[in-house]
Amino acid sequence: MHEQFPVQVSANEALTGGYFRLTLDAGTPVATAHTRPGQFVMLRGAWGRDLLNGRAFSVLEVLDDRRFSVLAKVFGRGTGLMKAMEPGDSMTCLGPLGNGFPVVDTSVTSLLVAGGVGLPPLHLYAREAAREGAAPAVEMIYGGRTRDDLVLTDELDAWQVAQTLTTEDGSRGVEGRVTVPLLDRLERASANGETVRILSCGPTPMLRAVRALALDRGVEAHLCLEEQMACGYGVCLGCAVPVHGPRPYAYCCTDGPVFPAQEVRWA
Amino acid sequence: MGVTSSLDASGVDVGIDFGPIRLKNPLLTASGCFAYGQQFAGFMDLRELGGLSTKGISPAPRFGNPLPRIYETASGMLNSIGLENVGTQVFLEEKLPFLDALDISVWVNFFGTDFESYVECARTLGEGKDRGVSALEMNISCPNIKKGGIEFGTVPEVAHRLTKACVEATDVPIVVKLTPNVGDIVAMAQAVHEAGAAGISLINTITGMAIDVRKRRPRLATTYGGLSGPAIKPVALRMVHQVHAALPELPICGMGGIYSGEDALEFLMAGASCVQVGTANFAEPPAALRVLAELKTLLAELGFARAEDAVGSLESIPAEPPYKAEGAQ
Repeated sequence: MHEQFPVQVSANEALTGGYFRLTLDAGTPVATAHTRPGQFVMLRGAWGRDLLNGRAFSVLEVLDDRRFSVLAKVFGRGTGLMKAMEPGDSMTCLGPLGNGFPVVDTSVTSLLVAGGVGLPPLHLYAREAAREGAAPAVEMIYGGRTRDDLVLTDELDAWQVAQTLTTEDGSRGVEGRVTVPLLDRLERASANGETVRILSCGPTPMLRAVRALALDRGVEAHLCLEEQMACGYGVCLGCAVPVHGPRPYAYCCTDGPVFPAQEVRWA
Repeated sequence: MGVTSSLDASGVDVGIDFGPIRLKNPLLTASGCFAYGQQFAGFMDLRELGGLSTKGISPAPRFGNPLPRIYETASGMLNSIGLENVGTQVFLEEKLPFLDALDISVWVNFFGTDFESYVECARTLGEGKDRGVSALEMNISCPNIKKGGIEFGTVPEVAHRLTKACVEATDVPIVVKLTPNVGDIVAMAQAVHEAGAAGISLINTITGMAIDVRKRRPRLATTYGGLSGPAIKPVALRMVHQVHAALPELPICGMGGIYSGEDALEFLMAGASCVQVGTANFAEPPAALRVLAELKTLLAELGFARAEDAVGSLESIPAEPPYKAEGAQ
């Protein structure tokens, strides 16, 4: 059973790199209180007969039983309107939807590999691990084009979650993409006989590269995918994901958005 | 269901006879926008709907098209899902019992990949008559199948022959869903009407496309897709009006961008006996029930005692007095 409910913007905070954090308040306890990292919400403003469908956003923070936040960047008209939203503005919210990442497991080291707007589910995962006293079992590898594209990094420091940052221009952290430190880390784990797994979210080219590394080395990996969605709850069938198995397609919204890397049918 | 069940606080009798099909109200949900109904049970009381049209069913299951399959456009969206569905057997065994229990008008949308498979599909699904199937909505208009489909929906003689064969294959009323992608919609409506269709659904999506100029690629993997949503409502209304004017005895189920009670009433006034809500369900799962509530309020406000009275009630704009040039005799 899903819930659709009205929310009000309680804060809209501009971050670096064009990112913004939108905090939404339902005013009453809602299902987002139990969001698992990787689950998402469909959000839509009072946009009349245009921008018809909700926009899917992975939940960034669950602040209490009625408030949560999302991280966004302007990609099109919908996110453009969201960036201009002010406290008190109304939206409708449907969610939380989909399935999240596997639960925190202290018997393995979870490498959280995030790129760009793919940060939220892994940020939420790190928060959850820290809250459960399992911060040492997670390590963040987070990349962006430049230093401005890396946001909310202080929070991970506060939770004492190890993080390796990368930028393509070398303006902060390791120069290059997330696969550079990821490869090092996988080799170190292999040399030490350490069991690691990868949880990743980010742009599709990044996920493809992460998946290739993981499959190559036989490392367990879970990818949080993003596809065009009209409904978010398994009806429009727009968000097909090519998979291996009895059927050629799964649905990002109801079967995912988190998929085991080996299931995804990518070249 | 009696007439009393269609009366409520608004005082408007919203019961509708759609040819042989009795509807407790004129609001249905549209095929492809409501799956097989179950997903919506958590959002709304499905028994309050007049009816629903299922995802299109074909004899064998289909997996659908490559992605991207959808793209949102100005006041609309393009889709090219590819008629993904579970097939007749799984539908009858696993999906229909849920719908049967709702006690609403269940229209099973169906299609084939060639003439014989249409007829086979109608015959097989018609076996669901005693298990809740009220009507078979024959899709001769989907732009998203490559093989065989296009002439069924665009050539009147072919549509007539196919409709007649399907009508003869089953006791369940056949409602033919027509494509707007034709030059003469009245000729198509007349062809299926004369072939024994109980009514028609107007309109399916309008074929369109969108382009990503940065990638220099179409937005959909299949290049073209079906446009739905408020962007197509004026075209849908025009077609409903044209067909109703030419064939007033043919029941029409109107659809195309209905998001409000006022939208629905426009369709009734143009000549539709009932309507379907489609794209609106995506952003607002119980949209059809909101539209129904708004429709009842609006009918009451405008003095309609019965929804039926609104059907085809459009009046023409009074003619202007003839023009005489200044100083003319």
